[in-house]
Amino acid sequence: MKIDGAFNAVDIAISGLKAQNKSMEAISSNVANSRTTDIGNGTPYRRVEAILKAGEGDISGVELDDIAKDMSSFTTVLAPGHPQADANGYLMMPNVDIPVEMMNLNLASRAYQANAAVLKRYQGMVNTSLELLR
Amino acid sequence: MVNLNPNVGSVFQKPGATGQSQKPAGSKDFGKVVENQLSEVNSLQDDSAAAVKDLLVGKSQDVNSVVAAVAKSDMSFKLMVGVRNKIIEAYKETMRMQI
Repeated sequence: MKIDGAFNAVDIAISGLKAQNKSMEAISSNVANSRTTDIGNGTPYRRVEAILKAGEGDISGVELDDIAKDMSSFTTVLAPGHPQADANGYLMMPNVDIPVEMMNLNLASRAYQANAAVLKRYQGMVNTSLELLR
Repeated sequence: MVNLNPNVGSVFQKPGATGQSQKPAGSKDFGKVVENQLSEVNSLQDDSAAAVKDLLVGKSQDVNSVVAAVAKSDMSFKLMVGVRNKIIEAYKETMRMQI
């Protein structure tokens, strides 16, 4: 991201909004698939996480680095009646933890609000400067 | 005509000859500066209008980019209006000047 120009703060705040949007998408996907036992190849849904990275330069925006899969082990539940249960009656469930997702959701939404607040405050600063013209 | 003061003499010369070269080197025409800034503000306005239109039509889903375009065009427009008011004020002040 370029850091020269009069609208750096705007661009950086917007990049933050976009990044938190992506985190929110990942969390949304996790919550929606928290009980998806089969994603088409017989394995349950694997939790994803949005990995963010800073842009180039000392002052930079944030960008999406990667959507990483959580490689922790799946949880198993005893469900003998389930069509996808194994021979012992155990069923593999996604490695999604709803309380963890709720926590991440809170973090993402707070960070989104913070970026919006920065944008708003910056606009206020510009307006304050323009008041001096009057 | 005997030219006693070269600065006064330049007034009588035809514009475009030596009268124009009296300006210090590197200074830009004020009108050009204003024109450039105006066209920049105008292009930002066009950008934000296009972004809003794309969003409303459904061509784009990116609300954040629209917010960025609108914020930029809003701020630059306010600056432009501020400078314009200042210029008009200065012009009026000049016109009111007693000669």
